[in-house]
Amino acid sequence: MDSLVSQYSRPVHSAEGPSQDEHQELSQTTPPLSLQFSLPPVAQSSAWLRAMTDDYSNPNCPIKIAHGTTTLAFRFKGGIIVATDSRATAGNWIASQTVKKVIEINNCLLGTMAGGAADCQYWLAYLGMQCRLHELRHKRRISVAAASKILANLVYSYKGMGLSMGTMCAGVTPQEGPALYYIDSDGTRLAGNLFCVGSGQTFAYGVLDAEYSYDLDDEAALELGRRSILAATHRDAYSGGFINLYHVKEDGWVKHGFNDTNPIFWKTKLEKGEFSNVTADLE
Amino acid sequence: MNHLPQAWGRPRDDVYGAYDQSHFQMGGPNQHTQSPIVTGTSVVAAKFKDGIVIAADNLASYGSLARFTDVKRLRKFNDQVVVGFGGDVSDMQYLDRLLNSLDIRENYGSDGTPLNAKNLHTYLSKVMYKRRSDFNPLWNHLLIAGLDGEDKPFLASADLLGTTFSAPTLATGFGAHLAQPILRRSIPDEAAVPNVSREEAVLLVKEAMKVLFYRDARSMDKYSIAVVTKDGVELKQDEKLESQSWAFAEGIRGYGTQVN
Amino acid sequence: MASVFSGAPPQSGPGYSFKQTPTEAPSGTRQHGFYPYTDNGGSTLGISGADFTILAGDTRHTSGYNINTRYAPKLFKIGGEGPDNKGASIVLSVVGFAADGEALKERLDTIVKMYKYQHGKPMSVAACAQRLSHILYGKRFFPYYVHAILGGLDEEGRGALYSYDPVGSYEREQCRAAGAAASLIMPFLDNQVNFKNQYVPDSGSGHELQEKPRTPLDQNHVLELVRDAFTSAVERHIEVGDGLQVMIIKKEGIMEAFHPLKQD
Repeated sequence: MDSLVSQYSRPVHSAEGPSQDEHQELSQTTPPLSLQFSLPPVAQSSAWLRAMTDDYSNPNCPIKIAHGTTTLAFRFKGGIIVATDSRATAGNWIASQTVKKVIEINNCLLGTMAGGAADCQYWLAYLGMQCRLHELRHKRRISVAAASKILANLVYSYKGMGLSMGTMCAGVTPQEGPALYYIDSDGTRLAGNLFCVGSGQTFAYGVLDAEYSYDLDDEAALELGRRSILAATHRDAYSGGFINLYHVKEDGWVKHGFNDTNPIFWKTKLEKGEFSNVTADLE
Repeated sequence: MNHLPQAWGRPRDDVYGAYDQSHFQMGGPNQHTQSPIVTGTSVVAAKFKDGIVIAADNLASYGSLARFTDVKRLRKFNDQVVVGFGGDVSDMQYLDRLLNSLDIRENYGSDGTPLNAKNLHTYLSKVMYKRRSDFNPLWNHLLIAGLDGEDKPFLASADLLGTTFSAPTLATGFGAHLAQPILRRSIPDEAAVPNVSREEAVLLVKEAMKVLFYRDARSMDKYSIAVVTKDGVELKQDEKLESQSWAFAEGIRGYGTQVN
Repeated sequence: MASVFSGAPPQSGPGYSFKQTPTEAPSGTRQHGFYPYTDNGGSTLGISGADFTILAGDTRHTSGYNINTRYAPKLFKIGGEGPDNKGASIVLSVVGFAADGEALKERLDTIVKMYKYQHGKPMSVAACAQRLSHILYGKRFFPYYVHAILGGLDEEGRGALYSYDPVGSYEREQCRAAGAAASLIMPFLDNQVNFKNQYVPDSGSGHELQEKPRTPLDQNHVLELVRDAFTSAVERHIEVGDGLQVMIIKKEGIMEAFHPLKQD
C-alpha cells in the first residue's frame, strides 16, 4: 500500500533540481580527467554536433572551432625534427597567430597538433598523464610505440563522435631509437620516417621529399624542417604565423625557437635566391 | 580523397555521413514541447521608487484563435514576489505546480525568511536552463517581479533557453517591441527609478497595455495587474482597459486597395 | 538546402575507404527540433601588462535586434568570498550565449571556492586556466557556446591572460578580443599592443625597415586603448554599446570601473 501511495504521490517535478552527478562534481577534490562527457540529448548526437560545428559544410554554423595547420616531423640519424606553423583559423577568421602546436607530453616525448585544437590539447595532456602513470607503474619510460597506441586506442573508442585530430608522436627511447608515429581521429596509427599533416601538408611534403635524407646532419635537418614549413605558410592560406622548431634527441627534446615567418621568408628569398616568383621590390 | 585543403581535418562524409542541415529546423513528431500550443502574449513590468508594477492580459490563444479569455498569467508567490508568464500555458501551469510545491517545502522547514524575488529568479532560471539542456524546454518567458533581500525593487527575466537579464523595465514577447520603448521613455535607467511614483508607474504600465491591445492581435482588453511593495502584493485580476481611443485608426493609410 | 550553404565540392563521390556509413543525410523525421543556442551579442577584451591585467566588456545584452537590457555584466570575479566575491584575484569574462556563460561561471566559481576550502590556499591562475579548459572540454559533444577569457596574476606577479575557444583549447596571450566585435577590435590590438606592422621611423625603407620593438605598456595607456577600442566598436557594431565594465587586476586587488558608452 505504502509503495502504491508513494508511486502516485510523487510530485511530477521531482527531477527539476541538479542531478546526483552534478552534486558530486562540486564536492570532488580532484577533477577526474574523466572521459565522462555530457552528450546532447538527441538521437544522433554526432550528427547534431557536426551540424553545430562543421564550418566547412555550413559556413553559417553557430560554433566555430579552431582549425587549419601545417605540421611535420621526420626521422634522421641525429633524432627527430618536429616543426609546425602557428596559425589557428575559425572559418575565414584567423583566431590566433601564436598557437603552440607542438605539445610537450613530457621531457622526451612530443606531440603535434592538427585539426581541432581543443581535441589535441586535451587528449595529449591525457596521454601525458597516462605516460607518467606508466613510468610510475613500470619504473621505466614508456616507449613511443606504446604511448602512441594509448592515444590511437583512445580516439578509436570515440570514432564517429566528431573528434578531429591528426597528430604525430615523436620520441627517442633506448630500445626503439628515434620513433615517429602518426595517429588520427579515424583511429589510424602508422609508424614512419616522415609525415606532414594538415591543410598545408602537400606543400611541406614537396620540399621535404625533395631534400630529405636519413643521413642529414643536425643543422641541415633543422633547416629542412624550417624550409618545409615556410613553403607551406607561403602557399596555404590556413597556415602561417610563426615557425615552431624542435629537435628530439635521446636525452630529451631541444627547442629551436618560435620565429616569425615573415623575416625568415625575406631572408630565404634575398640571401638564397629562392621564391623567385615573388618580387623583392617593395615600392 | 578530397583534394581541397579547406576540407582537410574536417568530418568526412564517408565517416560521419552527410552534413545534416535538419538539426536547425523545427518540426518532426513531438516528444516534448517543441513548439508552444496554447499561448499567452506579453508580460509588462516596471520598477518604481519603492516597488514594482507588473501586468499581463487574461487571454490564452490557440494559434490565431482567442481560445480562453480568463487565464490569469500573473502568479503571486508570496508577499513579496509575483511571477508573470508569457508563452505556453500548459508549461505555465506546470511551473505553477512546481512553485506550489516549492512554497510548501519552504514553509515547512524554514526559519521564517521567505524566498525573495532574487532567490526565486535564481531558482526559476536554473529550472529553465536545465530543461533547455535536456532539450525539453519549458516554452515560457518569465518575468519575476518583487523585492530583493534588501527590500529594494527587483525585476528580472528568464526564458526558455535559460537566458536571464534584469532591467528597470521589462516586457516579453510582442511587448519587447511595442511596450519596452514606451516604458524606457519614462524610465530609461536605474537612476530614474527613485523619481517614479507608484501612481506614475501604474499609469505607465496601463498605457503600455493599451498600446499592446491596439496593435497586438493576440491580446485582449481584460488584464491582471499587480503592485508589489513592502506592504505586500496587491493583485487585481479583472481589470479592464480604460479610456481607449481608436481615433488613430482613422489616420491609418496604405492597406488593401486604399492607397491614400 | 545543404548545398546552398556549402562551398564544398560534392562529397557524395566515392570515399577512400570501405563505405560503412551513409553518404546521405538520414531521411525521415527528426526526433528533436529545439535549437538550444542563441547569441546575446556583446564583446569582451583583455590585455595583460607587467604587473596587471585589464579585462573589459560592454554591458549590452541583445536578442536579435532587441536590446534586452543595457546593463548585463560579462565580467565575473571568481573564487572570492560572499556574494560580492571579496578578495578574489581571478576574473572570468564570457561572451556568446549568456545562459551558457552564466552556467560556466557558476561552475568555475564553485570549483575555485571548493579548492580554497580543501587546500587552504587560493587557486593559482595557471591551475584555474587549465581547469576551465577541462570544464569546457567536458562538454565537447554539447559545447558551451561561449568565448571565455580568464585574467589574473601569475605566481611571479605578472599579468596573466588566457583565452579559450568554445570547446576548451586555450593559450596564454598578451591581448585578446572576443565576441561580436572581435574582428573589429583584434586588429587594433595587434597594432597597438603588439606593435604589428609598426616600424621605427627613419630606420630606412623597404627591407631595411626596423620593426618597432615591443615594450611593456603602462596601466593608464592600456586603459586608454581599451576605452578607445570599445568606443570605436560601438560605432560599427549594433550589438555593442550601452556601458563598459572594466576590471583591473593588481596585487592589491581588483578595481572595477564602469564607463558609459553610446546607447543608440
